[in-house]
Amino acid sequence: MECTRIYSIHDQAITFEFAEIISEEINLHIISLKNAIEDHPFNGFIECVPAYSSLTVYFHNNMDKNEVIKIVNSYNSKLNTNNSTSNNKIITIPVCYEMGEDLSIVTSQLNLSEEEVIRLHSEQSYRVFMIGFTPGFPYMGTLPKVLEMERKKTPSLNIQSGSVAIAGKQTGIYPTNSPGGWHVIGRTPVNMFDKKRTPACFLQAGDIVQFKPITKRAFEQYL
Amino acid sequence: MCSIQDLGRRGFQQYGIPISGAMDMQAAKTANRICGNEDEDALLECTLHGTEILIQDTTVFSITGGGSTAILNGQKIPFNKQIKAIAGSIIKLLPSPIGFYAYLAFAGGLKTSLDLGSSSTYNLAALGGKNGKPLEQNDRIELKNSKPNIQHANIVINEHGFGISNWKSTVPQLPHVNDLVEIKCHKGPEWDLFEERSTSAWFNSIFIISQHANRMGFQLEGAQLEKKEKKEMISTAVTKGIVQVTNHGTPIVLMADAQTIGGYPRIGRIFNDDINLLAQCRPGTKIKFVSI
Repeated sequence: MECTRIYSIHDQAITFEFAEIISEEINLHIISLKNAIEDHPFNGFIECVPAYSSLTVYFHNNMDKNEVIKIVNSYNSKLNTNNSTSNNKIITIPVCYEMGEDLSIVTSQLNLSEEEVIRLHSEQSYRVFMIGFTPGFPYMGTLPKVLEMERKKTPSLNIQSGSVAIAGKQTGIYPTNSPGGWHVIGRTPVNMFDKKRTPACFLQAGDIVQFKPITKRAFEQYL
Repeated sequence: MCSIQDLGRRGFQQYGIPISGAMDMQAAKTANRICGNEDEDALLECTLHGTEILIQDTTVFSITGGGSTAILNGQKIPFNKQIKAIAGSIIKLLPSPIGFYAYLAFAGGLKTSLDLGSSSTYNLAALGGKNGKPLEQNDRIELKNSKPNIQHANIVINEHGFGISNWKSTVPQLPHVNDLVEIKCHKGPEWDLFEERSTSAWFNSIFIISQHANRMGFQLEGAQLEKKEKKEMISTAVTKGIVQVTNHGTPIVLMADAQTIGGYPRIGRIFNDDINLLAQCRPGTKIKFVSI
């Protein structure tokens, strides 16, 4: 897969863009490229940030920008995309849907029953495209078409940590109490971010997630 | 507001954890060097006024950057010098129209706990600092090395209980709130998505740092910047120095606690060497972006 655009976002950070769409195939390629660089870091490498359809590479100021572009391009050309089919295990995340404060708004806007929303959201697995927005927040997709909803016009000021939410083609989990514009349809007792744990984030880009509906009682027992 | 910072947290942006660290890296390094510390040592970053520090054991410290007038035992003290203060001394920071962020380094460095390799405070995820937070009243901080390796025998203590080094570190002049400050800027990754009227305004009109200026970003007041067409962008990595434009046409320069991923079009990218200067422009300062 070839880059469609390469640009700087800082003197020591270059973004390699592969498309301007959200696609599992492109994201898979980006994660493979990230892994290739991290497995054999070049001299001066600091870190990579994968996004939906781009990979940003941060490096020390002793490295020349054009040299970094050359190195990353050579990693990219050596990648065998056929090789990078998902060998990830599926991570199950329990969700108590009755604790979703926007569930009733979602069901009435989408004209679906609660059971249908829960079934549609939990019967398929999702890919973690990237982590961002706040520490540990996974951007996952792709939602079934019937669950697609525009984000809230006015963001909620305080969304509880563990809230499982949907917006557009995406679903996500709020790791900490924070403002947010996505519709909350459930809550997980799993701690998405814990600085004392290694790794601190429960999920990383490239993981495959399956939600499992649980009762409020099971939620409380989990804690 | 006063928080513990260092040179930042690296290697965790892919988990959504910002780099953080001092807003004005140069001033922070200078403060540490004056005290004989390492560049990476933890120090205090103070902005606006209200900080008051009691020194419990005789110590050597320095204050750099701006935004504050520093008072030690009732006497105004200079920036960018080595200062020795006896036990019981009190440092008070009062507002100043010059600069925005002040740095207080103590010889021996601050003793802090590291979160993910750094003691920089990032409140949102309770990382670094004092229990993950900026400093609060009655917090107590110890020095990492209480017997620092520093030559200060030649500092004579005056009748106010402190002494000042004869030498001074040379530092760049900081902007006054009434100044018009020129900041060098590259065209951003989405420069071509903006109307010509807006790209022309970016380099030809004057913007003002708004009251919404904090460690995450500086929002600017001035020309409204419009895109040629309403097209949603796919979120991608952003970092310190990137200028995002919100759907309302307002530019925001991302600063030390910049989010790791953003979805707004980016009209500009501040020249790296000018980010420290921009950090010292307090709300109300006029900015002219210069193309490079």
